[in-house]
Amino acid sequence: MSARPAINGQWMTRRRMLGVAGGAAAALPLAACGSGAPEAEPGGGGGGGTFLAYWNNAHEYEAYKDVVAQFEKDHGVTVELQKFQWEDLRTKLVSDFQSGNVPDVVEEPGSWVQEFALSKDALSLQKYLDKDGTKIGFPDDWLDVAVSDNTHEGQVYGIQMHYTCTLLFYNRKMLDDAGIEPPATWDDFLSAARELTSGDVNGTVLNDGLSYSYPWMLQNGVHEYDADSGELLQPRAAAMEAMQFQRDLVHEHKVSPKPTTSLDVTRAAKFFAAERTAMILTGPWDIPIIKQSNPDLEYGIAPALTGKRQSTIAGGTTLFIPAQAKRPDLSWDFIKRITALKTETAATEESSMLMPRKSWAKEPAVQENPDVKPFTEGLPYAEEFRTGVYTTGKAGELEDIYKTLYESMLIEGAGAEEAFAAYDDAAKNILKG
Amino acid sequence: MATPAELPQLPEPVELPKRTKRTKRSPIARRQARTAYVFLAPALIFFAIFFYYPIADILNTSMLTGQRTDEFAGFDNYTNAFEDPQARNAFKVTLQFAVATTVGAIVLGMGLAVLINQKLRGSLAFKLALLVPYLTSIAVVGLMWRNILDPELGILNRILSDLGLPTQEWLNTHPVATIVAVTLWMTTGYTMILFLAGLQGIPDVYYEAAKVDGANGWQRFRRITVPLLTPTTLFVSVMAVITGLQAFGQAYIITRGGPGEASDLFVFHIFELAFRARNFGYASALSVLLLLVIVAFTLVQLRIGRDREVQH
Repeated sequence: MSARPAINGQWMTRRRMLGVAGGAAAALPLAACGSGAPEAEPGGGGGGGTFLAYWNNAHEYEAYKDVVAQFEKDHGVTVELQKFQWEDLRTKLVSDFQSGNVPDVVEEPGSWVQEFALSKDALSLQKYLDKDGTKIGFPDDWLDVAVSDNTHEGQVYGIQMHYTCTLLFYNRKMLDDAGIEPPATWDDFLSAARELTSGDVNGTVLNDGLSYSYPWMLQNGVHEYDADSGELLQPRAAAMEAMQFQRDLVHEHKVSPKPTTSLDVTRAAKFFAAERTAMILTGPWDIPIIKQSNPDLEYGIAPALTGKRQSTIAGGTTLFIPAQAKRPDLSWDFIKRITALKTETAATEESSMLMPRKSWAKEPAVQENPDVKPFTEGLPYAEEFRTGVYTTGKAGELEDIYKTLYESMLIEGAGAEEAFAAYDDAAKNILKG
Repeated sequence: MATPAELPQLPEPVELPKRTKRTKRSPIARRQARTAYVFLAPALIFFAIFFYYPIADILNTSMLTGQRTDEFAGFDNYTNAFEDPQARNAFKVTLQFAVATTVGAIVLGMGLAVLINQKLRGSLAFKLALLVPYLTSIAVVGLMWRNILDPELGILNRILSDLGLPTQEWLNTHPVATIVAVTLWMTTGYTMILFLAGLQGIPDVYYEAAKVDGANGWQRFRRITVPLLTPTTLFVSVMAVITGLQAFGQAYIITRGGPGEASDLFVFHIFELAFRARNFGYASALSVLLLLVIVAFTLVQLRIGRDREVQH
């Protein structure tokens, strides 16, 4: 492949120019007919018409509906939340970038903002933060990693909306019956999983989706990319050990069924709710599925495991404004409202979703929620596995070959030497391109 | 069987006068031509905007570096395609898929059509039942089969287990064979209808004559049905090859191209390059190469089909 990692200047295709020109032309009448918009500045603050937001299909909470209703009333717009699964949302968004016809605001799954900042497709929010940052408590009230994950070359491009991590969910009855304490280390985990595997019940179920392998890597001190050396999956021996450990859970010790290649990442939660597994590693997003499927299930949530160290993946979603958005001031106002502390707390009460504000963690509604509190204790040691990958300009391609590595070992049972050799070959081609 | 004397005689060919020079059209003819162009204009404009411009644009994009830059790359994307192991793997997987679905479509479609053509009771219900999957979108079919085939939670393995048979990890160990089977489940009803139409166009007189000559069922099928269905077979095979080479939903919804790259269909590979890697230049070049491959396959099939028709 002949793509180049270096990005010099604004990428402006003919289509994009036409799109921007069309957008600018369309923005004029829209701005003129805005009613009651507090920031009706030339170039983008006006209201009226439809305000389009791309949203994750699982995140349409009642708490947000209230905010949306007030936003519509204040600005005289109709908010359309178009809901997608992440894969489909990316397809739509990338197509939009090409055509120049973009939404007003986008929720993304936590790894795209910097990539799109690099490609000049995301709008820098710095001018808004310089003006409103103190009023909304940014950045001081946000966890540091939630800010750094959305920063590119010193400018902030996205505001973290949800902030999550994965922890250990366990079936209380199964562990109590076996006289097993919730495991804290890899060795404990393997031992418990062996003990609890029998008949139709698996000790654990490794979730579908390669991102569930990231915590194991982090617990062994591995990150996907070392920006200083430009090397991938370092330290290599620790990376191979972490992947081999997961592979062996499936193929050697047979305490977990093989993961599948599905887009449906709720499979482990379904096993857990059906009491066909004693332990899974997941985040708060699976709690509604578990509770809905098996309201009587008694489960506990334990801290993340410790390999060479204790760690878990920092995840969550971010709101950003496409660079070509027609009414960025309006979009910024929407982001401020959705990420307000009151909205965050209401969403947590409703869904047990985790949020990135430090003050949110101190709220009684958070502290008293048994599903949420363990996560507030996990978030401080949560980390980003893909730190710096976006600077290569090849984040998508590198994720693809990591997926191949993961599936070849965990699903097909390949050995670490062979799978990592194939990964290195593919990585070499990508990075030299 | 009809004797040559009973068959209708074709008229003698008429020799048309050779056109030596361009004759001047009459005013009426010119007016008619103008009217024709006016009526054709919407269609021509539609094709120009939605077919020819995108093709020209994709050719243009295929010559660019493509990943967030617009630099001219010449034929680099094309030459790189031949050295790219992932592209080669995707092409190999797609060829396997296209060949298997084409052969399956012909064998199953023709077999079921012959069966239904026996005019047995309930054949209409059978036809409808076979056609329903074809009317269902690949998204629905994909999700449905994913759930059915799940090795732990799927109903198929549960049935096998209840019958005392070994369970299978369908999508993990045989991903291409499994998506071929799902595709055939979905499309066989359609090919069956095509073959059925072809079968009903074969005069009974041929079969009656063969019976009189002592031909058994298999001989009648081999010597009469198969040759006289050549045009239908050709149509089905051309369409199946084109559809097979362009298949996308199966990999996108059912297997995600995995495990690893085991079911990485070519169009899915292009999709990943375009929308995940955002390498539009390279993705466009692969799209153009796929177009050329499809055209080549189609021409070869049409040539083979034409030769076979001449023999009959």
